Amino acid sequence: MSRRAWAWFGLGVLVVGVLAVALWPRGHESTAARAHRLETEIKCVDCESLSVADSETDTARAARADILERVRHGESDATIRQAYVDRFGQSVLLKPATNGIGLLVWALPVGLLIVGAGGIVLALRRWQRQPRMKATEADEELVERTRAELTKGRKT
Amino acid sequence: MKHPLRWVALGVAIIVAAFAVVLAANVGKDPNADARTSKLTGKPAPAFTVEALNGEQISLASLRGKTVIVNFWNTWCLPCQNELPALQSWYAAHRSDPSIVMLGIVRDDTDAAVRDYVKTQKIPWTVAFDRGSKTALDFGTRGQPETYAISPDGVIVGSILSEVTPSILDQMVAVAQGT
Repeated sequence: MSRRAWAWFGLGVLVVGVLAVALWPRGHESTAARAHRLETEIKCVDCESLSVADSETDTARAARADILERVRHGESDATIRQAYVDRFGQSVLLKPATNGIGLLVWALPVGLLIVGAGGIVLALRRWQRQPRMKATEADEELVERTRAELTKGRKT
Repeated sequence: MKHPLRWVALGVAIIVAAFAVVLAANVGKDPNADARTSKLTGKPAPAFTVEALNGEQISLASLRGKTVIVNFWNTWCLPCQNELPALQSWYAAHRSDPSIVMLGIVRDDTDAAVRDYVKTQKIPWTVAFDRGSKTALDFGTRGQPETYAISPDGVIVGSILSEVTPSILDQMVAVAQGT
């Protein structure tokens, strides 16, 4: 395999590895861990930019108890998030929704990354295809002449 | 297309266009609009049970058939203090009406402060504690004062997420009673 093929193979392994780590199922998540993860996604409505997990207001405490109760009752993450959106509106979610227009917030940076990487790869390939500069006969004659003059000058 | 880089340029153009569409769709939208309107208006009021100062448990179910004005408040909030005269004058005009109930639900305050304030300010309507803040959460309150009007059949027909005035209360009661 050529060096270039090895480089592409290495890059492929890296990308697959990163995706596998990112997308690998997390396995069983405990009730408390799941409740805490959801608490970090829901805004404390009494506070500025704090999640209910990080706030100690009465309502944040009530929200934590409510989320834990809902998790224990087997409600899905989406159902729990929706219960809060129904009462407080979309702004109660600290993470943008992964559907509708909210999907664009996630998709745009990924799209830009892919297109940018593609652009860099194409540009590199184009630069590689360009022929290297070669000295003409006139250039070589000039170099020979200069060398000869330099040698002559040293002798005298 | 002949040149691959043109595909990249096209991709960038599509992404920029999508971004522009999102931006255009959201220009003029107030990001804080959620905080000024209740999502529960027009929906059944959340069932609640709160504890009056005398220890009596008051449930929404027990008030069925009456127009209920629920005012979330506390003693340390200045807008709550500011709206108190308006609530007092409105209540004085309606306290003899058996079809109307006014309930002050305490949000984020101590028992002692509330009892003292109710006594010194001579608040005549029922004031109740929301143990565990479940009622405040179920109503989707973001602060205080917030006032909700519940129709006799248990639907939230109006809400004010700031200081209320007697005329606003009159309007909310009129809507609740369908008059």
